[in-house]
Amino acid sequence: MSDNYDVIVIGAGHNGLVCANILAKKNRKVLICEARENCGGLVEESITNFVPQIPLSVSSSLGGLPIKYKAKSTIALSESGQHIRLVGNQHIDHKVISGFSSKDADRYVEFHDKMSSFSKALGSFMMASPPRIMNNTFSDYFKLFKLGMNVRMLGKKKFNEFARMIGLNIADELEDNFENTLLQGLIAHDAVLGSNLGPRSPGSLINLLYRMATHDNSIFGGIYEIDGGSKAFVDTLLNISNKNKVEIKTSSSVKRCITENDKAIGVELHSGEKIYAKKIISNADPRSTYFCLLGTENLDTDVKRRIKHHRSKGKVAKLSLSLNKQPEFINCDKNDLESRMVIAPSIDYIEEAFNPSKFDKLSMEPILEMKLKNSDQSNPVLDIQVQYASYGVQEGWDKIKDNYVDAVIKLIGKYAPDIQSCIETKTIVTPDDIEKNFYVSGGHWHHGEIQIDQLFMLRPIPGASQYRTHLDGLYMCGAGTHPGGGLTGIPGKNAAQAILEDA
Amino acid sequence: MNRDLRFTALKKTPFHSRTSLASRTNKYYNWNGFTVPTEYSTTELEYTAARNGTSVMDLTPMCKYMINGSDANKFVDYLVTRDLSQMEDNTVAYIIWCNEDGKVMDDGTIFKFSNTKFMLCCAVKIYNWLHDSAEGFDVSFEDATDTTAALAIQGPTSCSTLKNYGADDLELLKPFGMKQYNINGYDVLISRTGFTGDLGYELWTDPANAENMWDSIMEAGKELKIRPFGMHALEMTRIEAGFIQTNTDFMAAEDSLRPVRMRSPYEIGMGWLVHLNKESYFVGKRALKKEKETGNSERCLVGLDIDGDKPAVGSVIYNEKKEDIGIVTAAMWSPTMKRNVALASLKRPYGIKIKENIFAEIYHPEELEYRKIWAKCKVVKRQFFSPERRNKVPADLYE
Repeated sequence: MSDNYDVIVIGAGHNGLVCANILAKKNRKVLICEARENCGGLVEESITNFVPQIPLSVSSSLGGLPIKYKAKSTIALSESGQHIRLVGNQHIDHKVISGFSSKDADRYVEFHDKMSSFSKALGSFMMASPPRIMNNTFSDYFKLFKLGMNVRMLGKKKFNEFARMIGLNIADELEDNFENTLLQGLIAHDAVLGSNLGPRSPGSLINLLYRMATHDNSIFGGIYEIDGGSKAFVDTLLNISNKNKVEIKTSSSVKRCITENDKAIGVELHSGEKIYAKKIISNADPRSTYFCLLGTENLDTDVKRRIKHHRSKGKVAKLSLSLNKQPEFINCDKNDLESRMVIAPSIDYIEEAFNPSKFDKLSMEPILEMKLKNSDQSNPVLDIQVQYASYGVQEGWDKIKDNYVDAVIKLIGKYAPDIQSCIETKTIVTPDDIEKNFYVSGGHWHHGEIQIDQLFMLRPIPGASQYRTHLDGLYMCGAGTHPGGGLTGIPGKNAAQAILEDA
Repeated sequence: MNRDLRFTALKKTPFHSRTSLASRTNKYYNWNGFTVPTEYSTTELEYTAARNGTSVMDLTPMCKYMINGSDANKFVDYLVTRDLSQMEDNTVAYIIWCNEDGKVMDDGTIFKFSNTKFMLCCAVKIYNWLHDSAEGFDVSFEDATDTTAALAIQGPTSCSTLKNYGADDLELLKPFGMKQYNINGYDVLISRTGFTGDLGYELWTDPANAENMWDSIMEAGKELKIRPFGMHALEMTRIEAGFIQTNTDFMAAEDSLRPVRMRSPYEIGMGWLVHLNKESYFVGKRALKKEKETGNSERCLVGLDIDGDKPAVGSVIYNEKKEDIGIVTAAMWSPTMKRNVALASLKRPYGIKIKENIFAEIYHPEELEYRKIWAKCKVVKRQFFSPERRNKVPADLYE
């Protein structure tokens, strides 16, 4: 049989699109099979709120990405109206925090500098494909050596500090530094956002560093909104795909990988259609890739164990409220309403919200990250990321959904008393919905926890790093691979490089 | 149940009331959590019974797992390296299984009742491994170790003994065949299998029938030189037969702390059990295929014929330049063969391409002093002892 395509990409998420286009630019004949009707995967208004900027290395390898971003400031809401407004600029933020505590303001600058230098040291490592330790090749050791050097070059003191902090929980570090509980809560919120951790869970600090590394090495600086929304972003990628002659088949969900002599040679769609290619790339999450595409009967027991233990329970739901008028948030001006609004008043509050989720239950006082869209028009929309809304919640989402939505609205009511009267419709997308509608096992944003045991060369599982799976000819390019989720396109770009290297 | 280990004795097998009566030495050891005799009278006598009459051994401590379900056949074929897709019902197969790196975890026997029912018998506990491997297969497992009594009846007169016991037409059972009997009012599964390299059978039944089975067989073999035998005698017979023992001749992959101590099937003479052309995938296939293609197997497990009559237990093996090339894993003076034999793990190419001019350094104890012997060895077939009667159908019968 002849290979119709050089490459088939399974899934038209943004990483799949990036990967496909880089390969198409290198004269590969590429087909993307997308299970849904629309492309873009989780880059969708119903999922995405705020995003980091696509790194230059990714956009330049696509020949430029004409996407406009709007930088967003952050406001930590307080019931008393004593909100903290941060923009990610050291001088301005120092001044703002001095209004609450001059000690905290000085400490904040120190803390930020320290964290920023660590995230920069991680940064170069984040961009490239992770080394493979078992390979024993010079380049792999060199990469590891470079990471070590990056951190060591910070100086002995900072190196020691880095070693101390790497496994730490964010709460300890914040409580050591700051006295204002609202500031503590705000930073802790960003550290645990999208993860299955509470502020007192070990490892929540590296989560923040990781986030900073893709957000301009800043805590509150690199937060953007895409001009035109998610649709504009996806359309841009689709335009480029069109130019690069990448074929896209939507509503074509892939059932399995076709193998020959233990090598991937094509895909079989659920419709029964078989398409052949030299290389197959999966933008699906690791569990789906291994258990569905590769098939359990083609996996070693040890690999099954690792995939089964892969942590990918989503904890974030998105609630969208369409409003008939702009709600009155206490002590907020127009500028504030256009910022990223966070409800996470203290570390203890977040930890209390987290506690029930350990037992697959819900806290009726969750933490919220809100975005008010069309604020100047007559039909504004309030988009809310609600955390910890566990995947597979005990009572079942169907039963508890309505009560939960009401609880969230009641919570917002503490900050915007008239919210109830503004609501026209409410839609919630739970992690269970994400799994069902977007084919992401566990409904996790990042296709798997961003934790030390699932990072770098351990991402997604040992033996499958560097974008290659256990099956010859089958690759991965999704958020489940290094460096993980977020609208960065880095996994897609690195995967494309791995494929070009192997060709 | 008292969970305090201080007050928890080793388990007794269903034959314990009989084996303890037969014991003249009171020598026991812990086999898989059970207390079983290492020796009843003298090892030499027990060995002689195994080679000239009938020997009886309590096999109950062996791990026994029932594998049931519509995918049972597919599953066992996936679990082990051997191609079992064409295995017939009511037969037994010798098997090994590996981890993802293609390193051997254990060997054992698999009993096929039907496409949906198997029994796996092995030395190392793998209940957990079975469950983790089963992802994606419709199978269920039952650990039948405590609920199945097992007895090995081995030796040239074993068939006659069992016929006297009530196993009609047993002589027609082929090697690696098995047959269900009803004897003395209870069900007994008899398989023509064993660990002595001779004519022999293994019997499987409910623990409630164990004592009757033991007594009846002892009675049936009264005139056929029957004798219970312990682990030490079994060790002698298995070395002569060239059978390997997990964690003696090679380290089970899950038990070795050092990756370099793990062995692939090719490194322990079990390459013949690896069917890389098997259509479906099996655990370790990718790694084994790579090893076969690149030929980077580092060791081999061979039989050695050693000069002199002093057993080379634990000896280091050297080449003519006195460079260390391997170690003896099991050794004995074979009374039946009148040969000084050993199993040895050697660094390739020794044992494969170079079979001569290798030496064993034997430390022979003589009344609290060691004599050091430099003995010449020859690499030979590992199966030192394989009499014609072992595979004969119908099996030899004696009055």
